[in-house]
Amino acid sequence: MEVPVKSMEPQPKPKPKIKPDNRKSVNWTPWVFITPHLLIFSVFFLVPIIYGIYISFTSWDLIGKADFVGLANYKEILFQKDSSFYTQFHNGFKNTFIFVILSVPGCIIVPLLLASALNAKPRFHKFFQSIFYMPTLFSISAVVIIWTLMFNVNQGPINNFLGESILWTSTQPYAWAAIVILTVWWCIGGNMIIYQAALNGVPRDLYEAASIDGANAVQKFFKITLPSIRGPILYTVVITTIAQFNVYGQPLMLTGGGPADSTRVLLMDIQQNAFGSGQPIAGIASAMAIILGLCIMVVTFIQFLLLRNKE
Amino acid sequence: MKSKLLSFPKLVAFLFLLLMAIIWVIPLVWGLVTSFKDDMEFQTMGFKFLPVEWVTTNYTSLLVDNYSTPLLQWFFNSLIISVVHTLLVLVVVSLAAFAYGRLRFKGRNMIFMFLMATMMFPAVVNLVPLYKIVDTLGWVNSYWAAIVPGAAGVFNIFLVRQFLANIPLEYDEAAKVDGAGDFQIFFKVVLPQLKPILMVVALFSFTGSWNDFLWPSIVFNDIEKMPITAGLQLLQGMYISQPTILMAGAVIAIIPTFIIYLFAQKYFIQSMSLSAGIKG
Repeated sequence: MEVPVKSMEPQPKPKPKIKPDNRKSVNWTPWVFITPHLLIFSVFFLVPIIYGIYISFTSWDLIGKADFVGLANYKEILFQKDSSFYTQFHNGFKNTFIFVILSVPGCIIVPLLLASALNAKPRFHKFFQSIFYMPTLFSISAVVIIWTLMFNVNQGPINNFLGESILWTSTQPYAWAAIVILTVWWCIGGNMIIYQAALNGVPRDLYEAASIDGANAVQKFFKITLPSIRGPILYTVVITTIAQFNVYGQPLMLTGGGPADSTRVLLMDIQQNAFGSGQPIAGIASAMAIILGLCIMVVTFIQFLLLRNKE
Repeated sequence: MKSKLLSFPKLVAFLFLLLMAIIWVIPLVWGLVTSFKDDMEFQTMGFKFLPVEWVTTNYTSLLVDNYSTPLLQWFFNSLIISVVHTLLVLVVVSLAAFAYGRLRFKGRNMIFMFLMATMMFPAVVNLVPLYKIVDTLGWVNSYWAAIVPGAAGVFNIFLVRQFLANIPLEYDEAAKVDGAGDFQIFFKVVLPQLKPILMVVALFSFTGSWNDFLWPSIVFNDIEKMPITAGLQLLQGMYISQPTILMAGAVIAIIPTFIIYLFAQKYFIQSMSLSAGIKG
């Protein structure tokens, strides 16, 4: 016991130095709590963002050395008309936009109608709510497999119900219709719950006052309901738009991007160029991803401005 | 008089919901019953909603084929990936949220604001570099590739920290008076009270991980190692001419999240309004 005490004795001697004491006052405990996340965050989010921007300025096959080429990739996909990447990018970008424009209204209006009806609290409303929310929890690949058969020319229930033999997945405009129907079916759950919560917060006496003034249900919906839940609607428009910009699984597995690449979206090109069967073209793929990312950021920024205005 | 006025809108709402619910449920029911149809019957007998003869051959032939489409192995892979990912998220998120919400240290607000600001960077930008990083770590075709990167997210920390703000500080302070350190306060006082929100984080992490499609389909090319969502794409290519087998595969892939939904429905529904309330 005495030996360690003796060896410790000389240490307190250089007391005049203030530094060690200062160091002691720094509390390292908080860093123990945040380091696991910060580490994962840095390696798998922060570094990749910066790295991804850099890659977009290079010519690279993901294996060898990346050659810095400046803005060449962006120039090629944006302006170089004779390049196949130009055609690819413009087609993919256009189709991604078409998908966003076609699917977002459905992903807003359908759940809004459902939430309004659920808000009237008819019989079995809890049960209905469960049914509408459920598809959101299923993986896109399983959902597409089921819907591919729903849209099947001969054996599919849709054609049999309509008495038609529409080639849903291989002719336009049906291919877009099929993708949008599947998407709306899959994604309304979250928005519906958000609207239900918002509708619950609209004061009942507003409706009662309107009833006394002789307003009908439709007038009440447009004059009271919609203005009262403007905030949540804006919020869902933004998050839905961002989500739909990332469309990938639906066209990949339902139409294969067809007919004639008319439903081929940008993420399919990015995936193909970077990880497809051929030589990886990581620089071009990254440049495409960054332009797509910029579009999403613009939407996010608009959301930020709108929320600012609200406050 | 009043009850009549009230009941008419209710009736309209009910009929509308009933119609929509039927539309919503048909694909699921039809997918399920079709997975019990004999393939020959399905291909040749014309359209029938229900099977003429209920068979389980689609399931048995899928489960027996372990070579080109090892469905059971995929299911097992998905299960390991989703469970470990969820546990990792719970640990990482609750620790960080506690520090940002309760502890005082230099740079705390700056770091947290920085993390929040990075949330506006969309994940697509990361796809190519993330693959390279995961490859450098030797994680291509490894469960880790699907487990760890998803834990980098900031939103869950924000969510839990927000929840923490509504738990009175008195509990912490009482524990502090009794001589408890930060770790003891975290484990004994705070963690038990975080249970409801951590439940939400766990459910969304699990279903999110189970359903993730793009990333696993990039980072796994070894058939034995991939999760079921990526596997279904292979299955689709393999059985394109035998749709009843495909249906069986889809049903199997849906089962876990369906069971979770049956038991934890209220958490999903509460959490959606919770996160919207915070953001909107």
